[in-house]
Amino acid sequence: MPTMTSLPLSVGIGLRAPHVAQVRGARPPCGWLEVHSENYFVDGGPALAALDAIRAYYPISLHGVGMSLGSAAALDAGHLARLKRLAARIEPAAVSEHLCWSRIDGRHLNDLLPLPFTAEALALVCEHVEQVQDALARPLLVENVSAYLRFANDAMAEWEFVAAVARRTGCKLLFDVNNVYVNAVNHGFDPLDYLAAIPAEAVAEIHLAGFDARGACLIDTHGARVAPPVWDLYRATIERFGPRPTLIEWDTDIPALEVLLDEAAHARQIMEARHAVAA
Amino acid sequence: MPSLLELQRNFSTATLFGDSAALAALPIVGGDLDASARIGVYRNNVLGNYRKVLAAAFPVVRRLVGGAFFDAAAAHFVRAHPSTRGDVNRYGGDFAVFLAGYPPARELAYLPDVARLEWAIDQAAIAADAAPLDLQALASVAPDALGDLCFLVHPAARLIGSPFPVLRIWQVNQADRSGDEPVDLGEGADTLLVSRGASGVAIERIARGDHAFLAALDASLTLGNAADRAAAADPDFDLGVALRRHVANHAIVAFHTPSRTNRTGAQ
Repeated sequence: MPTMTSLPLSVGIGLRAPHVAQVRGARPPCGWLEVHSENYFVDGGPALAALDAIRAYYPISLHGVGMSLGSAAALDAGHLARLKRLAARIEPAAVSEHLCWSRIDGRHLNDLLPLPFTAEALALVCEHVEQVQDALARPLLVENVSAYLRFANDAMAEWEFVAAVARRTGCKLLFDVNNVYVNAVNHGFDPLDYLAAIPAEAVAEIHLAGFDARGACLIDTHGARVAPPVWDLYRATIERFGPRPTLIEWDTDIPALEVLLDEAAHARQIMEARHAVAA
Repeated sequence: MPSLLELQRNFSTATLFGDSAALAALPIVGGDLDASARIGVYRNNVLGNYRKVLAAAFPVVRRLVGGAFFDAAAAHFVRAHPSTRGDVNRYGGDFAVFLAGYPPARELAYLPDVARLEWAIDQAAIAADAAPLDLQALASVAPDALGDLCFLVHPAARLIGSPFPVLRIWQVNQADRSGDEPVDLGEGADTLLVSRGASGVAIERIARGDHAFLAALDASLTLGNAADRAAAADPDFDLGVALRRHVANHAIVAFHTPSRTNRTGAQ
């Protein structure tokens, strides 16, 4: 497979450990695969060998959960070096990270923590995005996250912050439709206002996943099928941006691979109903 | 309003430690949920994630103490030994040391060694690959020069020594066993080699001499000095047999002539 610098215009799934052997053996039809970069921050062994084998058949997206682009502290140079080493080995079609923070004073919380939407945070995130892009010598895809609180010192709306990061750094956006929906419910805004503010040309990937509505606010668990209102918002998203490489993510209570492929087929139907999808 | 640094420090302290002053200093918009409940969502997510990570790395420890005890220990561990890296693959290396000093686990003297064994298994799976030792190159070394060579232990190989029968404890507490089989702690000490082969990570009970030998090679001692250490630990140690066995099972993967400073065997 030739080296690709962007994802194919099709639907992929998040590849998690329980499905690796089946995907490697049966090679089910699927546009592309996304893995968590940090799961492969290893020196060797069977997991890395499996990814080496699988990348011969599918375009791979490296999706980071631990770079902590929004830390008030400097980026972790070791973490960035490990990502760079992995990207050189896997030659991914895309590399993405989250618009959040998780590390302070050398302590890592290993979660996607919310940023205040301030000028200070914006400047810092942009500096870190540029640092990662320089290190990898490629545009980074930056993903909006779910949040369960807002800060009183916000100086702008989330969508203004996200759009500004893309404009200032030239990074691409990984537009997570589920996260926009979760935040719209949790914080009371119209998701269409969010869509309207995002520069369409910056959006290089879309994420779809399920949330948990059992608590006092929606929680982005990636542990269920995509909810009907999120499918509706997905339709509105590709109406606004055009079709984009789309991923089905599932991280907790992981079901049979067939369930993910079924969700992917549903996304593909929606994509095809709106636009002709490149084969 | 706080700086981003102050905000993140307070967020981290409020989330991990439930610190009320840190929580009060956070400018959180309340609404339907108050600030404490909102930070509580993050606390549940963060601690829940570490519980899962630790339960995956230490399934036998969890089975030995039970889920509730394990979760409580994990919560204490996370606060005493916070994660420092963005990849949780390497989180948990201090769990054995933590358990050794965790008062509720004091009765289970063998528990830290079981944790060390599980960590060795966990890390062996993600250690570097290594090609087998070049036997032709070794055969070309003059016999009287062999003792001055240093040998490289496979990056995935881990040595575990314990005064308890930790391998038996580990075996009878696998998911496919009832967990009710008695283990006599008086069965004695274990010296184990954890290694990774084509079919995955394996645990092997090895002689005390082999254990001392591999440990000495791993500490960059020359073959001659490692053999002396092994013979001191185990009068039955046979250098030729041990070398052949551990080259064959890929515990030893390469050799080199050391720089002069290493040659004395001083550590």
